[in-house]
Amino acid sequence: MSSDTINSKGSQVGLIALVVGIVGIVIALFGFKQGWDTGEVRPIMSWLIALGFWLSIAIGMLFLVQIWYVFHARWPTIIRRQCEHFMAAFPYLLVLFLPLLAIPFLHENPGLLWKWMDGHNELPGHGTVAEDPLYAWKSPFLNIQFFAIRAIGIFAVFIGVATLLRKWSFDMDTTGNINNMHNARRLSSLGLFLTAIAMTLGSIDWFKSLEYHWFSTMYGVWFFAACMRAALASIIILTVVLAYKGYLKGILKQAHRYDIACMMLAFTVFWAYISFSQYFLIYSANIPEETFWYNIREKNFDGGLNSWWWVSMGLIFGHFLTPFLLLLWYKTKVVIWRTVGVSIWILSFHLLDLYWNIIPGKLVAPDHGAGYLVRQFSVSIYDLAALVGIGGICIFAMCRSMKKAEPIPIRDPNILTSINYTE
Amino acid sequence: MTEKYGIIASFPDTPSFFHAAEKVRDAGYKKWDTYSSFPVHGMPEAQGQARSKVPVFTFLGGITGFTVGLLMVWWMNAYDYPLIIRGQPFFSPVFPFPIMYELTILLAAFGTLGGMFITNLLPQHYSPLFNSDQFLEVSGDRLVIAIEARDGQYDVVATRQFLEEIGGTDIEEVSA
Repeated sequence: MSSDTINSKGSQVGLIALVVGIVGIVIALFGFKQGWDTGEVRPIMSWLIALGFWLSIAIGMLFLVQIWYVFHARWPTIIRRQCEHFMAAFPYLLVLFLPLLAIPFLHENPGLLWKWMDGHNELPGHGTVAEDPLYAWKSPFLNIQFFAIRAIGIFAVFIGVATLLRKWSFDMDTTGNINNMHNARRLSSLGLFLTAIAMTLGSIDWFKSLEYHWFSTMYGVWFFAACMRAALASIIILTVVLAYKGYLKGILKQAHRYDIACMMLAFTVFWAYISFSQYFLIYSANIPEETFWYNIREKNFDGGLNSWWWVSMGLIFGHFLTPFLLLLWYKTKVVIWRTVGVSIWILSFHLLDLYWNIIPGKLVAPDHGAGYLVRQFSVSIYDLAALVGIGGICIFAMCRSMKKAEPIPIRDPNILTSINYTE
Repeated sequence: MTEKYGIIASFPDTPSFFHAAEKVRDAGYKKWDTYSSFPVHGMPEAQGQARSKVPVFTFLGGITGFTVGLLMVWWMNAYDYPLIIRGQPFFSPVFPFPIMYELTILLAAFGTLGGMFITNLLPQHYSPLFNSDQFLEVSGDRLVIAIEARDGQYDVVATRQFLEEIGGTDIEEVSA
Protein backbone atom coordinates (compact mmCIF):
# COMPACT_ATOMS: atom_id res chain seq x y z
CA MET A 1 0.00 0.00 0.00
CA SER A 2 1.47 3.35 -0.96
CA SER A 3 1.71 6.09 1.57
CA ASP A 4 -0.79 8.20 -0.43
CA THR A 5 -3.59 5.66 0.03
CA ILE A 6 -2.73 5.42 3.73
CA ASN A 7 -2.91 9.17 4.04
CA SER A 8 -6.22 9.52 2.21
CA LYS A 9 -7.74 6.70 4.29
CA GLY A 10 -6.32 8.25 7.45
CA SER A 11 -7.73 11.66 6.63
CA GLN A 12 -11.16 10.16 5.91
CA VAL A 13 -11.22 8.46 9.30
CA GLY A 14 -9.87 11.62 10.91
CA LEU A 15 -12.54 13.77 9.27
CA ILE A 16 -15.34 11.42 10.36
CA ALA A 17 -13.89 11.36 13.89
CA LEU A 18 -13.73 15.17 13.93
CA VAL A 19 -17.37 15.55 12.85
CA VAL A 20 -18.61 12.90 15.29
CA GLY A 21 -16.43 14.41 18.01
CA ILE A 22 -17.79 17.93 17.50
CA VAL A 23 -21.39 16.65 17.54
CA GLY A 24 -20.71 14.73 20.77
CA ILE A 25 -19.02 17.71 22.37
CA VAL A 26 -21.87 20.06 21.45
CA ILE A 27 -24.39 17.70 23.09
CA ALA A 28 -22.15 17.17 26.13
CA LEU A 29 -21.56 20.92 26.48
CA PHE A 30 -25.31 21.45 26.34
CA GLY A 31 -25.56 19.16 29.37
CA PHE A 32 -22.60 20.96 30.94
CA LYS A 33 -24.42 24.28 30.49
CA GLN A 34 -27.54 22.85 32.13
CA GLY A 35 -25.46 21.64 35.07
CA TRP A 36 -23.84 25.07 35.23
CA ASP A 37 -27.21 26.87 35.29
CA THR A 38 -29.17 24.56 37.58
CA GLY A 39 -26.37 23.50 39.93
CA GLU A 40 -27.22 19.82 39.32
CA VAL A 41 -23.72 18.54 38.80
CA ARG A 42 -24.25 15.12 37.18
CA PRO A 43 -23.80 16.24 33.52
CA ILE A 44 -20.56 17.98 34.53
CA MET A 45 -19.39 14.69 36.01
CA SER A 46 -20.07 13.08 32.61
CA TRP A 47 -17.49 15.45 31.19
CA LEU A 48 -15.01 14.63 33.96
CA ILE A 49 -15.48 10.87 33.47
CA ALA A 50 -15.04 11.06 29.71
CA LEU A 51 -12.01 13.30 30.03
CA GLY A 52 -10.53 10.94 32.62
CA PHE A 53 -11.15 7.96 30.34
CA TRP A 54 -9.35 9.35 27.30
CA LEU A 55 -6.68 11.05 29.36
CA SER A 56 -5.89 7.76 31.10
CA ILE A 57 -5.28 6.05 27.76
CA ALA A 58 -2.94 8.82 26.62
CA ILE A 59 -1.09 8.90 29.97
CA GLY A 60 -0.66 5.12 29.92
CA MET A 61 0.81 5.30 26.42
CA LEU A 62 3.14 8.12 27.51
CA PHE A 63 4.36 5.90 30.34
CA LEU A 64 4.83 2.88 28.06
CA VAL A 65 6.80 4.79 25.44
CA GLN A 66 9.16 6.17 28.10
CA ILE A 67 9.53 2.77 29.78
CA TRP A 68 10.41 1.24 26.42
CA TYR A 69 13.01 3.93 25.81
CA VAL A 70 14.55 3.59 29.26
CA PHE A 71 14.81 -0.19 29.04
CA HIS A 72 15.95 0.01 25.42
CA ALA A 73 13.15 -2.37 24.47
CA ARG A 74 13.53 -3.57 20.89
CA TRP A 75 10.33 -5.52 20.23
CA PRO A 76 7.76 -2.71 20.66
CA THR A 77 9.37 -0.32 18.15
CA ILE A 78 6.51 -0.69 15.64
CA ILE A 79 3.94 -0.24 18.42
CA ARG A 80 5.75 2.77 19.89
CA ARG A 81 5.00 4.79 16.79
CA GLN A 82 1.24 4.20 17.15
CA CYS A 83 1.43 5.37 20.77
CA GLU A 84 3.31 8.47 19.65
CA HIS A 85 0.47 9.23 17.25
CA PHE A 86 -2.13 8.91 20.00
CA MET A 87 -0.07 11.15 22.29
CA ALA A 88 -0.86 13.98 19.87
CA ALA A 89 -4.18 14.20 21.74
CA PHE A 90 -2.69 15.87 24.85
CA PRO A 91 -3.00 19.51 23.67
CA TYR A 92 -6.62 18.86 22.67
CA LEU A 93 -7.30 17.28 26.07
CA LEU A 94 -5.94 20.44 27.72
CA VAL A 95 -8.45 22.53 25.75
CA LEU A 96 -11.21 20.09 26.70
CA PHE A 97 -10.17 20.41 30.36
CA LEU A 98 -10.70 24.19 30.32
CA PRO A 99 -14.51 24.02 30.87
CA LEU A 100 -13.83 22.24 34.17
CA LEU A 101 -11.15 24.77 35.11
CA ALA A 102 -13.61 27.57 34.39
CA ILE A 103 -15.93 26.46 37.20
CA PRO A 104 -13.87 27.82 40.15
CA PHE A 105 -13.21 31.11 38.36
CA LEU A 106 -16.43 31.92 36.54
CA HIS A 107 -19.27 30.14 38.34
CA GLU A 108 -21.14 31.83 41.20
CA ASN A 109 -20.50 28.69 43.28
CA PRO A 110 -16.81 27.89 42.69
CA GLY A 111 -17.35 24.58 44.45
CA LEU A 112 -19.97 23.35 42.02
CA LEU A 113 -17.95 20.26 41.11
CA TRP A 114 -15.11 20.21 43.67
CA LYS A 115 -17.02 21.34 46.72
CA TRP A 116 -13.98 22.42 48.78
CA MET A 117 -13.55 25.32 46.36
CA ASP A 118 -16.34 27.23 48.08
CA GLY A 119 -16.29 27.68 51.86
CA HIS A 120 -20.08 28.19 51.93
CA ASN A 121 -20.81 24.67 50.66
CA GLU A 122 -22.57 22.56 53.24
CA LEU A 123 -21.32 19.17 54.35
CA PRO A 124 -24.18 16.91 55.42
CA GLY A 125 -24.11 16.89 59.21
CA HIS A 126 -20.81 18.79 59.50
CA GLY A 127 -21.62 22.45 58.90
CA THR A 128 -19.84 24.17 56.02
CA VAL A 129 -16.51 23.64 54.31
CA ALA A 130 -15.07 26.80 55.88
CA GLU A 131 -15.83 25.51 59.38
CA ASP A 132 -14.30 22.13 58.67
CA PRO A 133 -10.99 21.57 60.55
CA LEU A 134 -9.93 18.94 58.01
CA TYR A 135 -10.31 21.47 55.22
CA ALA A 136 -8.36 24.03 57.24
CA TRP A 137 -5.47 21.58 57.47
CA LYS A 138 -5.62 20.70 53.80
CA SER A 139 -6.20 24.24 52.51
CA PRO A 140 -2.52 25.06 51.81
CA PHE A 141 -2.74 22.39 49.11
CA LEU A 142 -6.43 22.49 48.26
CA ASN A 143 -6.99 26.09 47.21
CA ILE A 144 -8.16 27.36 43.86
CA GLN A 145 -5.01 29.21 42.86
CA PHE A 146 -2.70 26.27 43.57
CA PHE A 147 -5.20 23.92 41.92
CA ALA A 148 -5.10 25.95 38.71
CA ILE A 149 -1.30 26.20 38.79
CA ARG A 150 -1.05 22.44 39.28
CA ALA A 151 -3.49 21.73 36.46
CA ILE A 152 -1.40 23.84 34.08
CA GLY A 153 1.81 22.23 35.34
CA ILE A 154 0.39 18.72 34.92
CA PHE A 155 -0.63 19.37 31.33
CA ALA A 156 2.66 21.14 30.67
CA VAL A 157 4.50 17.94 31.65
CA PHE A 158 2.27 15.69 29.52
CA ILE A 159 2.35 17.97 26.49
CA GLY A 160 6.04 18.83 26.85
CA VAL A 161 7.31 15.27 27.19
CA ALA A 162 4.96 13.93 24.50
CA THR A 163 5.87 16.70 22.04
CA LEU A 164 9.61 16.22 22.46
CA LEU A 165 9.42 12.43 22.16
CA ARG A 166 7.26 12.74 19.04
CA LYS A 167 9.53 15.33 17.50
CA TRP A 168 12.69 13.26 17.97
CA SER A 169 11.09 10.04 16.83
CA PHE A 170 9.69 11.66 13.66
CA ASP A 171 12.98 13.44 12.98
CA MET A 172 14.72 10.05 13.07
CA ASP A 173 12.64 8.96 10.04
CA THR A 174 14.07 11.67 7.82
CA THR A 175 17.55 12.39 9.14
CA GLY A 176 18.49 9.07 10.72
CA ASN A 177 20.39 11.08 13.33
CA ILE A 178 21.10 8.71 16.22
CA ASN A 179 21.21 11.64 18.67
CA ASN A 180 17.42 11.62 18.49
CA MET A 181 17.39 8.22 20.19
CA HIS A 182 19.90 9.32 22.83
CA ASN A 183 17.87 12.46 23.54
CA ALA A 184 14.65 10.48 23.82
CA ARG A 185 16.25 8.04 26.20
CA ARG A 186 17.71 10.79 28.37
CA LEU A 187 14.43 12.66 28.50
CA SER A 188 12.53 9.46 29.34
CA SER A 189 14.62 8.72 32.40
CA LEU A 190 13.68 12.13 33.81
CA GLY A 191 10.28 12.22 32.14
CA LEU A 192 9.11 9.05 33.89
CA PHE A 193 9.46 10.84 37.24
CA LEU A 194 7.76 13.98 35.93
CA THR A 195 4.92 12.00 34.35
CA ALA A 196 4.45 9.95 37.51
CA ILE A 197 4.27 13.06 39.69
CA ALA A 198 1.96 14.85 37.26
CA MET A 199 -0.34 11.82 36.98
CA THR A 200 -0.49 11.40 40.77
CA LEU A 201 -1.30 15.08 41.31
CA GLY A 202 -3.90 14.92 38.54
CA SER A 203 -5.68 11.93 40.04
CA ILE A 204 -5.67 13.53 43.49
CA ASP A 205 -6.88 16.93 42.26
CA TRP A 206 -9.52 15.86 39.79
CA PHE A 207 -10.92 12.60 41.20
CA LYS A 208 -9.88 12.14 44.80
CA SER A 209 -10.54 15.71 45.95
CA LEU A 210 -14.23 15.26 45.06
CA GLU A 211 -14.26 13.78 48.59
CA TYR A 212 -11.51 15.86 50.11
CA HIS A 213 -12.06 14.38 53.61
CA TRP A 214 -10.60 11.10 52.52
CA PHE A 215 -7.03 9.86 52.96
CA SER A 216 -5.37 7.27 50.76
CA THR A 217 -1.75 7.04 49.75
CA MET A 218 -2.66 4.37 47.18
CA TYR A 219 -4.74 6.64 45.00
CA GLY A 220 -2.04 7.76 42.59
CA VAL A 221 -0.87 4.20 42.09
CA TRP A 222 -4.45 3.11 41.50
CA PHE A 223 -4.71 5.66 38.70
CA PHE A 224 -1.36 4.56 37.30
CA ALA A 225 -2.55 0.94 37.16
CA ALA A 226 -5.81 2.06 35.56
CA CYS A 227 -3.93 4.14 32.96
CA MET A 228 -1.67 1.25 32.05
CA ARG A 229 -4.57 -1.18 31.65
CA ALA A 230 -6.50 1.30 29.52
CA ALA A 231 -3.46 2.02 27.36
CA LEU A 232 -2.56 -1.65 26.81
CA ALA A 233 -6.13 -2.58 25.91
CA SER A 234 -6.31 0.39 23.51
CA ILE A 235 -2.98 -0.57 21.94
CA ILE A 236 -4.32 -4.06 21.18
CA ILE A 237 -7.47 -2.66 19.57
CA LEU A 238 -5.61 0.08 17.68
CA THR A 239 -2.85 -2.16 16.31
CA VAL A 240 -5.23 -4.98 15.35
CA VAL A 241 -7.41 -2.49 13.44
CA LEU A 242 -4.30 -1.11 11.73
CA ALA A 243 -3.11 -4.64 10.92
CA TYR A 244 -6.52 -5.61 9.54
CA LYS A 245 -7.25 -2.64 7.32
CA GLY A 246 -4.24 -0.40 7.48
CA TYR A 247 -0.53 -0.22 7.29
CA LEU A 248 0.45 -2.70 9.99
CA LYS A 249 -0.77 -5.58 7.81
CA GLY A 250 1.92 -8.27 7.82
CA ILE A 251 4.03 -6.23 10.26
CA LEU A 252 2.16 -6.80 13.50
CA LYS A 253 3.05 -10.35 14.54
CA GLN A 254 1.48 -12.77 16.95
CA ALA A 255 4.51 -12.21 19.19
CA HIS A 256 3.75 -8.48 19.54
CA ARG A 257 0.13 -9.13 20.50
CA TYR A 258 1.22 -11.90 22.86
CA ASP A 259 3.63 -9.64 24.73
CA ILE A 260 1.15 -6.78 25.05
CA ALA A 261 -1.44 -9.30 26.31
CA CYS A 262 1.07 -10.60 28.87
CA MET A 263 1.47 -7.05 30.12
CA MET A 264 -2.33 -6.78 30.25
CA LEU A 265 -2.35 -9.82 32.54
CA ALA A 266 0.40 -8.33 34.70
CA PHE A 267 -1.38 -5.00 35.06
CA THR A 268 -4.71 -6.72 35.73
CA VAL A 269 -3.07 -8.31 38.75
CA PHE A 270 -1.36 -5.03 39.63
CA TRP A 271 -4.65 -3.11 39.50
CA ALA A 272 -6.29 -5.71 41.75
CA TYR A 273 -3.33 -5.64 44.12
CA ILE A 274 -3.45 -1.83 44.45
CA SER A 275 -7.22 -1.58 44.67
CA PHE A 276 -7.41 -4.36 47.22
CA SER A 277 -4.50 -3.01 49.30
CA GLN A 278 -6.28 0.34 49.52
CA TYR A 279 -9.45 -1.39 50.71
CA PHE A 280 -7.59 -3.81 52.99
CA LEU A 281 -5.62 -1.12 54.86
CA ILE A 282 -8.71 1.02 55.38
CA TYR A 283 -10.73 -2.03 56.49
CA SER A 284 -8.02 -3.03 58.98
CA ALA A 285 -7.47 0.44 60.44
CA ASN A 286 -11.24 1.02 60.66
CA ILE A 287 -11.05 4.82 61.06
CA PRO A 288 -14.24 6.73 60.16
CA GLU A 289 -12.38 9.44 58.19
CA GLU A 290 -11.31 6.72 55.79
CA THR A 291 -14.01 4.06 55.90
CA PHE A 292 -16.81 6.44 54.87
CA TRP A 293 -15.42 6.44 51.32
CA TYR A 294 -16.12 2.74 51.01
CA ASN A 295 -19.31 2.95 53.08
CA ILE A 296 -21.02 5.27 50.62
CA ARG A 297 -19.99 2.85 47.85
CA GLU A 298 -21.82 0.05 49.61
CA LYS A 299 -24.64 1.37 51.76
CA ASN A 300 -27.15 4.18 52.04
CA PHE A 301 -27.38 6.22 55.22
CA ASP A 302 -30.11 3.87 56.50
CA GLY A 303 -27.77 0.87 56.13
CA GLY A 304 -29.42 -0.70 53.11
CA LEU A 305 -27.29 -1.78 50.14
CA ASN A 306 -27.23 0.75 47.34
CA SER A 307 -26.49 0.51 43.63
CA TRP A 308 -22.76 0.98 44.20
CA TRP A 309 -22.57 -2.35 46.00
CA TRP A 310 -23.44 -4.06 42.73
CA VAL A 311 -20.95 -1.92 40.86
CA SER A 312 -18.28 -2.84 43.42
CA MET A 313 -18.99 -6.54 42.96
CA GLY A 314 -18.95 -5.95 39.21
CA LEU A 315 -15.48 -4.45 39.52
CA ILE A 316 -14.12 -7.34 41.61
CA PHE A 317 -15.47 -10.04 39.34
CA GLY A 318 -15.60 -8.17 36.05
CA HIS A 319 -12.57 -5.92 36.19
CA PHE A 320 -10.29 -8.39 37.95
CA LEU A 321 -11.38 -12.03 38.10
CA THR A 322 -12.77 -12.48 34.58
CA PRO A 323 -9.91 -10.88 32.63
CA PHE A 324 -7.41 -12.49 35.01
CA LEU A 325 -8.70 -16.02 34.39
CA LEU A 326 -9.15 -15.39 30.65
CA LEU A 327 -5.67 -13.93 30.25
CA LEU A 328 -4.09 -16.91 32.00
CA TRP A 329 -4.94 -18.89 28.87
CA TYR A 330 -2.30 -18.89 26.17
CA LYS A 331 -5.05 -18.92 23.53
CA THR A 332 -6.52 -15.65 24.83
CA LYS A 333 -3.18 -13.99 24.25
CA VAL A 334 -2.68 -15.21 20.66
CA VAL A 335 -6.13 -15.67 19.05
CA ILE A 336 -6.91 -12.19 17.71
CA TRP A 337 -10.64 -12.00 18.43
CA ARG A 338 -10.17 -13.28 21.97
CA THR A 339 -7.44 -10.71 22.76
CA VAL A 340 -9.54 -7.93 21.25
CA GLY A 341 -12.59 -9.16 23.19
CA VAL A 342 -10.72 -9.07 26.50
CA SER A 343 -9.37 -5.60 25.61
CA ILE A 344 -12.86 -4.23 24.97
CA TRP A 345 -14.02 -5.88 28.20
CA ILE A 346 -11.19 -4.26 30.19
CA LEU A 347 -11.84 -0.83 28.66
CA SER A 348 -15.55 -1.07 29.53
CA PHE A 349 -14.81 -1.96 33.13
CA HIS A 350 -12.12 0.71 33.29
CA LEU A 351 -14.90 3.16 32.47
CA LEU A 352 -17.07 1.63 35.20
CA ASP A 353 -14.13 1.97 37.59
CA LEU A 354 -14.02 5.72 36.81
CA TYR A 355 -17.79 5.99 37.44
CA TRP A 356 -17.29 4.19 40.75
CA ASN A 357 -14.51 6.57 41.77
CA ILE A 358 -16.09 9.81 40.60
CA ILE A 359 -19.88 9.81 40.91
CA PRO A 360 -20.58 8.88 44.56
CA GLY A 361 -18.04 11.48 45.67
CA LYS A 362 -20.46 14.33 46.16
CA LEU A 363 -22.87 13.63 48.98
CA VAL A 364 -26.02 15.68 49.04
CA ALA A 365 -28.05 16.56 52.12
CA PRO A 366 -31.63 15.23 52.12
CA ASP A 367 -34.60 17.61 52.05
CA HIS A 368 -35.52 16.66 55.59
CA GLY A 369 -34.10 14.45 58.32
CA ALA A 370 -30.54 13.58 59.22
CA GLY A 371 -27.76 11.99 57.20
CA TYR A 372 -26.92 12.23 53.53
CA LEU A 373 -28.02 10.95 50.16
CA VAL A 374 -25.58 8.97 48.06
CA ARG A 375 -25.63 9.85 44.39
CA GLN A 376 -26.61 6.55 42.82
CA PHE A 377 -25.14 4.85 39.79
CA SER A 378 -26.69 6.03 36.54
CA VAL A 379 -25.80 6.31 32.90
CA SER A 380 -26.95 9.42 31.07
CA ILE A 381 -27.01 10.50 27.47
CA TYR A 382 -24.42 13.13 28.36
CA ASP A 383 -21.99 10.41 29.48
CA LEU A 384 -22.22 8.88 26.04
CA ALA A 385 -22.01 12.24 24.27
CA ALA A 386 -18.94 13.31 26.24
CA LEU A 387 -17.23 9.94 25.71
CA VAL A 388 -17.87 9.94 21.97
CA GLY A 389 -17.12 13.65 21.68
CA ILE A 390 -13.79 13.69 23.49
CA GLY A 391 -12.88 10.32 21.92
CA GLY A 392 -13.64 11.67 18.47
CA ILE A 393 -11.29 14.59 19.02
CA CYS A 394 -8.55 12.24 20.30
CA ILE A 395 -8.91 9.99 17.24
CA PHE A 396 -8.90 13.03 14.98
CA ALA A 397 -5.66 14.17 16.63
CA MET A 398 -4.18 10.70 16.13
CA CYS A 399 -5.16 10.51 12.43
CA ARG A 400 -3.82 14.01 11.89
CA SER A 401 -0.50 12.93 13.40
CA MET A 402 -0.44 9.77 11.28
CA LYS A 403 -0.20 11.88 8.15
CA LYS A 404 2.93 13.60 9.43
CA ALA A 405 5.19 10.58 9.87
CA GLU A 406 6.01 7.16 8.52
CA PRO A 407 3.71 4.30 9.64
CA ILE A 408 6.62 2.70 11.50
CA PRO A 409 9.94 4.25 12.58
CA ILE A 410 11.83 3.08 9.49
CA ARG A 411 15.25 4.33 10.54
CA ASP A 412 15.10 3.30 14.17
CA PRO A 413 18.10 1.03 14.91
CA ASN A 414 15.74 -1.54 16.45
CA ILE A 415 13.18 -1.66 13.67
CA LEU A 416 14.42 -4.95 12.17
CA THR A 417 14.40 -6.70 15.55
CA SER A 418 10.86 -5.49 16.06
CA ILE A 419 9.63 -6.56 12.60
CA ASN A 420 11.24 -10.01 12.89
CA TYR A 421 10.19 -10.48 16.49
CA THR A 422 9.17 -13.99 17.57
CA GLU A 423 8.01 -15.36 20.90
CA MET B 1 20.29 -60.40 19.19
CA THR B 2 20.14 -57.74 21.90
CA GLU B 3 17.12 -55.50 22.13
CA LYS B 4 17.45 -52.12 20.46
CA TYR B 5 16.46 -48.74 21.87
CA GLY B 6 16.24 -47.01 18.50
CA ILE B 7 18.16 -45.33 15.71
CA ILE B 8 20.03 -42.06 15.92
CA ALA B 9 21.14 -39.85 13.06
CA SER B 10 23.32 -36.74 13.12
CA PHE B 11 22.85 -33.57 11.10
CA PRO B 12 25.56 -31.19 9.92
CA ASP B 13 23.92 -27.83 10.70
CA THR B 14 20.92 -26.31 12.46
CA PRO B 15 18.74 -25.61 9.36
CA SER B 16 19.03 -29.20 8.07
CA PHE B 17 18.47 -30.45 11.63
CA PHE B 18 15.35 -28.27 11.91
CA HIS B 19 13.89 -29.29 8.55
CA ALA B 20 14.69 -32.94 9.17
CA ALA B 21 12.65 -32.71 12.37
CA GLU B 22 9.72 -31.35 10.36
CA LYS B 23 10.03 -34.30 7.96
CA VAL B 24 10.07 -36.84 10.82
CA ARG B 25 6.96 -35.15 12.20
CA ASP B 26 5.25 -35.25 8.80
CA ALA B 27 6.21 -38.91 8.32
CA GLY B 28 3.99 -39.64 11.33
CA TYR B 29 6.54 -40.80 13.92
CA LYS B 30 5.44 -40.27 17.54
CA LYS B 31 8.17 -41.67 19.82
CA TRP B 32 11.17 -39.63 18.84
CA ASP B 33 13.11 -36.60 19.96
CA THR B 34 15.73 -34.05 18.93
CA TYR B 35 18.92 -33.44 20.90
CA SER B 36 21.17 -30.39 20.75
CA SER B 37 23.36 -28.52 23.20
CA PHE B 38 21.52 -25.24 22.59
CA PRO B 39 17.84 -24.35 22.18
CA VAL B 40 16.58 -24.16 18.59
CA HIS B 41 13.73 -21.63 18.23
CA GLY B 42 10.57 -23.12 16.81
CA MET B 43 11.71 -26.70 17.46
CA PRO B 44 8.65 -27.68 19.53
CA GLU B 45 6.45 -26.71 16.57
CA ALA B 46 8.79 -28.47 14.12
CA GLN B 47 8.49 -31.58 16.26
CA GLY B 48 4.72 -31.23 16.30
CA GLN B 49 4.57 -31.07 20.09
CA ALA B 50 1.40 -29.92 21.77
CA ARG B 51 1.66 -27.06 24.28
CA SER B 52 3.07 -27.95 27.65
CA LYS B 53 0.68 -29.32 30.29
CA VAL B 54 2.56 -27.59 33.12
CA PRO B 55 0.11 -24.62 33.32
CA VAL B 56 -2.64 -27.07 34.32
CA PHE B 57 -0.56 -28.17 37.33
CA THR B 58 0.15 -24.52 38.16
CA PHE B 59 -3.53 -23.63 38.03
CA LEU B 60 -4.61 -26.61 40.14
CA GLY B 61 -1.87 -25.79 42.68
CA GLY B 62 -3.07 -22.18 42.83
CA ILE B 63 -6.73 -23.13 43.31
CA THR B 64 -5.74 -25.59 46.06
CA GLY B 65 -3.66 -22.93 47.83
CA PHE B 66 -6.49 -20.40 47.67
CA THR B 67 -9.02 -22.86 49.08
CA VAL B 68 -6.68 -24.12 51.79
CA GLY B 69 -5.89 -20.57 52.90
CA LEU B 70 -9.59 -19.69 53.05
CA LEU B 71 -10.54 -22.82 55.01
CA MET B 72 -7.53 -22.53 57.32
CA VAL B 73 -8.35 -18.98 58.41
CA TRP B 74 -12.05 -19.78 58.73
CA TRP B 75 -11.28 -22.88 60.85
CA MET B 76 -8.79 -21.11 63.11
CA ASN B 77 -10.47 -17.71 63.53
CA ALA B 78 -14.16 -18.47 63.26
CA TYR B 79 -14.61 -22.11 64.25
CA ASP B 80 -11.89 -23.64 66.42
CA TYR B 81 -10.96 -20.60 68.51
CA PRO B 82 -13.08 -17.53 67.63
CA LEU B 83 -11.22 -14.29 68.28
CA ILE B 84 -12.64 -10.78 68.37
CA ILE B 85 -10.17 -8.50 66.61
CA ARG B 86 -10.93 -4.76 66.26
CA GLY B 87 -14.62 -5.59 66.62
CA GLN B 88 -14.65 -6.94 63.10
CA PRO B 89 -16.35 -10.17 61.98
CA PHE B 90 -14.81 -13.54 62.93
CA PHE B 91 -14.57 -14.35 59.29
CA SER B 92 -14.71 -12.27 56.14
CA PRO B 93 -12.97 -12.73 52.80
CA VAL B 94 -11.15 -9.42 53.33
CA PHE B 95 -8.67 -9.75 56.18
CA PRO B 96 -7.34 -13.27 55.43
CA PHE B 97 -6.75 -12.33 51.81
CA PRO B 98 -2.94 -12.00 52.17
CA ILE B 99 -2.87 -15.57 53.50
CA MET B 100 -5.07 -16.91 50.71
CA TYR B 101 -2.98 -15.02 48.22
CA GLU B 102 0.38 -16.21 49.60
CA LEU B 103 -0.76 -19.82 49.69
CA THR B 104 -2.05 -19.47 46.13
CA ILE B 105 1.40 -18.37 44.99
CA LEU B 106 3.24 -20.98 47.07
CA LEU B 107 1.17 -23.95 45.94
CA ALA B 108 1.08 -22.65 42.35
CA ALA B 109 4.88 -22.66 42.43
CA PHE B 110 4.92 -26.17 43.90
CA GLY B 111 2.42 -27.25 41.24
CA THR B 112 4.67 -25.82 38.53
CA LEU B 113 7.76 -27.55 39.89
CA GLY B 114 5.96 -30.87 40.37
CA GLY B 115 4.25 -30.59 37.00
CA MET B 116 7.58 -29.95 35.32
CA PHE B 117 9.02 -33.11 36.93
CA ILE B 118 5.99 -35.20 36.03
CA THR B 119 5.65 -34.06 32.41
CA ASN B 120 9.43 -34.39 31.82
CA LEU B 121 9.45 -37.88 33.42
CA LEU B 122 12.09 -36.72 35.92
CA PRO B 123 14.15 -37.81 37.75
CA GLN B 124 15.73 -39.94 35.05
CA HIS B 125 19.32 -40.88 35.78
CA TYR B 126 19.86 -43.21 32.85
CA SER B 127 18.99 -43.26 29.17
CA PRO B 128 20.01 -46.05 26.75
CA LEU B 129 21.14 -43.29 24.38
CA PHE B 130 24.25 -42.92 26.57
CA ASN B 131 25.37 -46.30 25.16
CA SER B 132 26.31 -44.48 21.98
CA ASP B 133 29.64 -42.65 21.97
CA GLN B 134 28.40 -40.48 19.14
CA PHE B 135 25.42 -39.40 21.20
CA LEU B 136 27.69 -38.17 24.00
CA GLU B 137 28.98 -35.55 21.56
CA VAL B 138 25.57 -33.85 21.68
CA SER B 139 26.86 -31.90 24.66
CA GLY B 140 29.47 -30.55 22.23
CA ASP B 141 28.36 -29.68 18.73
CA ARG B 142 26.46 -32.73 17.49
CA LEU B 143 22.80 -32.41 16.46
CA VAL B 144 20.92 -35.70 16.80
CA ILE B 145 17.48 -37.03 16.00
CA ALA B 146 16.60 -40.31 17.72
CA ILE B 147 13.64 -42.46 16.65
CA GLU B 148 12.76 -45.03 19.27
CA ALA B 149 12.01 -48.70 18.64
CA ARG B 150 8.74 -48.50 20.57
CA ASP B 151 7.28 -46.23 17.90
CA GLY B 152 4.54 -48.05 15.97
CA GLN B 153 6.05 -47.10 12.63
CA TYR B 154 9.54 -48.24 13.58
CA ASP B 155 11.25 -50.65 11.22
CA VAL B 156 15.01 -51.22 11.33
CA VAL B 157 15.54 -51.05 7.58
CA ALA B 158 12.87 -48.52 6.57
CA THR B 159 13.58 -46.07 9.41
CA ARG B 160 17.32 -46.16 8.69
CA GLN B 161 16.60 -45.48 5.04
CA PHE B 162 14.21 -42.66 5.95
CA LEU B 163 16.82 -40.98 8.14
CA GLU B 164 19.32 -41.20 5.31
CA GLU B 165 16.82 -39.66 2.89
CA ILE B 166 16.24 -36.63 5.10
CA GLY B 167 19.94 -35.94 5.28
CA GLY B 168 21.08 -37.81 8.39
CA THR B 169 24.67 -39.00 8.70
CA ASP B 170 26.50 -41.31 11.12
CA ILE B 171 23.35 -43.42 11.48
CA GLU B 172 23.64 -45.85 14.32
CA GLU B 173 21.41 -48.39 16.06
CA VAL B 174 21.54 -47.95 19.82
CA SER B 175 21.11 -50.98 22.06
CA ALA B 176 18.72 -50.78 24.98
